[in-house]
Amino acid sequence: MKKITINNLSYKYSLAENKALNNISLEVEKGDFIGVVGPNKAGKSTLCKSLVGLIPHFYKGEFEGEILIDNLNTLNSSIAELSLKVGLVFQNPFNQISGAKLSVYDELAFGLENNGLGREEMITRIDKYLNLMDLNEVKDNNPFELSGGQMQKLAIASIMALKPDVFVLDEPTSQLDPQGTEEVFKAVSRLREENLTVILVSQKLNKLADYANKILFLNQGEIAAYDNTAAVFSRNDLEQMGMGAPIYTEIARELGLKNEKNQYPIRKSELKEMLVAKYGKNIG
Amino acid sequence: MQNNQKKNLWSFNFSTMALVLIPVSIGINYVGKLFAQTLRLPLWLDSIGTILAGILAGPWVGAISGGINNAIYGLTISPVSFAYGITSIAIGITAGVMARMGFVKSMKRAVIMGLVIAGISTVVSTPINIIFWGGQTGNIWGDALFGILRSANWPVWLASGLDELAVDLPDKIATTIIAFIIYQGLPKRITVLFEES
Amino acid sequence: MRSLSLYVKRDSLIHKIDPFTKIIYVFVSVISPFILPTLIFSTSLTLINLLFLLLGRVVKKVLPIISFVFIIILTIFIIQGMFYDANQTELFSLFNLNFYVEGILYAARISVRAINVLLAFSLLILTTPPTEMIESLVRRGMPAKLGYIMHSVLQIIPMMSSNASIIMDAQRARGMETEGSLWVRIKAFIPLIGPLVMSSLVNTHERSIALEVRGFSAATQKTFLHQEKVPGGMKQLRIFFLLFLAAVLAWRLVL
Repeated sequence: MKKITINNLSYKYSLAENKALNNISLEVEKGDFIGVVGPNKAGKSTLCKSLVGLIPHFYKGEFEGEILIDNLNTLNSSIAELSLKVGLVFQNPFNQISGAKLSVYDELAFGLENNGLGREEMITRIDKYLNLMDLNEVKDNNPFELSGGQMQKLAIASIMALKPDVFVLDEPTSQLDPQGTEEVFKAVSRLREENLTVILVSQKLNKLADYANKILFLNQGEIAAYDNTAAVFSRNDLEQMGMGAPIYTEIARELGLKNEKNQYPIRKSELKEMLVAKYGKNIG
Repeated sequence: MQNNQKKNLWSFNFSTMALVLIPVSIGINYVGKLFAQTLRLPLWLDSIGTILAGILAGPWVGAISGGINNAIYGLTISPVSFAYGITSIAIGITAGVMARMGFVKSMKRAVIMGLVIAGISTVVSTPINIIFWGGQTGNIWGDALFGILRSANWPVWLASGLDELAVDLPDKIATTIIAFIIYQGLPKRITVLFEES
Repeated sequence: MRSLSLYVKRDSLIHKIDPFTKIIYVFVSVISPFILPTLIFSTSLTLINLLFLLLGRVVKKVLPIISFVFIIILTIFIIQGMFYDANQTELFSLFNLNFYVEGILYAARISVRAINVLLAFSLLILTTPPTEMIESLVRRGMPAKLGYIMHSVLQIIPMMSSNASIIMDAQRARGMETEGSLWVRIKAFIPLIGPLVMSSLVNTHERSIALEVRGFSAATQKTFLHQEKVPGGMKQLRIFFLLFLAAVLAWRLVL
């Protein structure tokens, strides 16, 4: 079932000389986990902002084409309406705190109050996502006193409480220390268990290999590749395109180890299996 | 979908950017005052944020920033500042209107803007000073002037107005210049978001 | 980090009264002496406020709030005592300076009125958590976005002032002169405030986005996580305060 359809999307920010996105068309199936990669200025953040309607409703500029979430056209819906279908979490955890609430618990209610939910429903949801994101111990703390990783989990929980079908994460770990990164990826795996459609922009290719079933590779506002994760990472022209591959894929490439689909392994377990198959058990 | 609508000066439909700017501008007022005290400057410098809010997002946002600034001070630090909310509102409006008239294009014009803001602030504060304190400002130098002028039988409104102006003139010119320097230093991609929304 | 507030947690009758009733009370108590400017009236209202502050067990906390006005009140007595327009009857003379009855009475009138304003507001501020005060106004029709701004200010001021002292220490450590002649101190101002102001203005961009994607601009009627606790009899109390104000107005118009 199609969840997201993008048709000929182009966007240029006011004051910018070049288009940030240039004629993008793609489809995302319900339940897909899409890893988005690409160099600076590839258009990754612009795509994320378009999916939640910030483009064209918050950022003025030149917008062409269309994005459909189910059958809802982002151009004709407000950001608030879209926020119940598509959630967004971005880099800086500090800036995602509303600033209006004195405790983590109340902070989770911010979006729910804005959307007019009943009190009982609010409490049910807050308790659920506090638990899911392991934030129960800090529920009475001031949100600004949390660690970076906890703050980012709070941002994720706040969005999850709105129960969107699509979850967009724009480099959620790029400003976190290793421990925070680990915490947030654990939280991301919970998203997958909730069976959401996820769009995750990240430079952490090993992590993407673990979670994503598809990779979207953007370059200079255009789609350079969009295919199954293993297929994209197995391409021979990755280096020319300015992109790397997960460490296990690189090793397999050096060793010339391909599977029956003529693709390199992308995860540790796959590589290990193939090595065992080729060289026998002792190697493991 | 080009958005070419010219923003209406008095548009009352605030963007989220403008709303988020207001608490930040009040925080800026606060740290301005804090640094002025720490450096023992003979100025208040407590309306940099309100003037910036007016410059960036127009007279209404400037006015709200000024009004809420004093309301919050009134509720948390010193209740008297409620009364001077009207002055802060006037400062925010003046900054917003003058910025749209092109007074933040050069330093020279910004100084003129500071002069006007000082004048308006004096005109609005003086009646409040008279109602509340019989004409004094609470500033030692200004009140000394007030005492001298009153002993020479000058009318209350004039003595009180000059008391206020003696305090406001250097303060508001300095404040406006600082706000102008900060505005000039902001990245264009941010200021454009305030202007277009 | 704490939120900006003078609220003092106590178990008292005044603390139990809901914020909205207290707001109405403060409004009436503050505005009445301006409508009816007699010394006896302002003094009685001031004493009532003092009584309520006692009941709220927060009298000691009032002192720092009102202490700063003592100097100005002193100078009001000196200046008005000598130079008030209607001065006629000499009261006493000090070092060849003449003080008059009319001026001293005028000074007493505005001073008591000013103290009354301070006490009434102190009563509200010291016995009501600011967030509850804001929320009670939003429930009664104040725009939710205005409420957001006020909540946010209460958090942002302590945050920015703690950042300010971090910057101050950092710049001093890098050798910036913050002591010395006036010019040296003036020169230090922009490098101190500049980075803090710039970063907080740039942050408004992302904070706005974060609010938008959580339905900040939703057209839906907003709801509240916390329930408001209003003790019985408060409606009658509010009406009583407003009737009192009406009576003061009538008194003024008739006299």
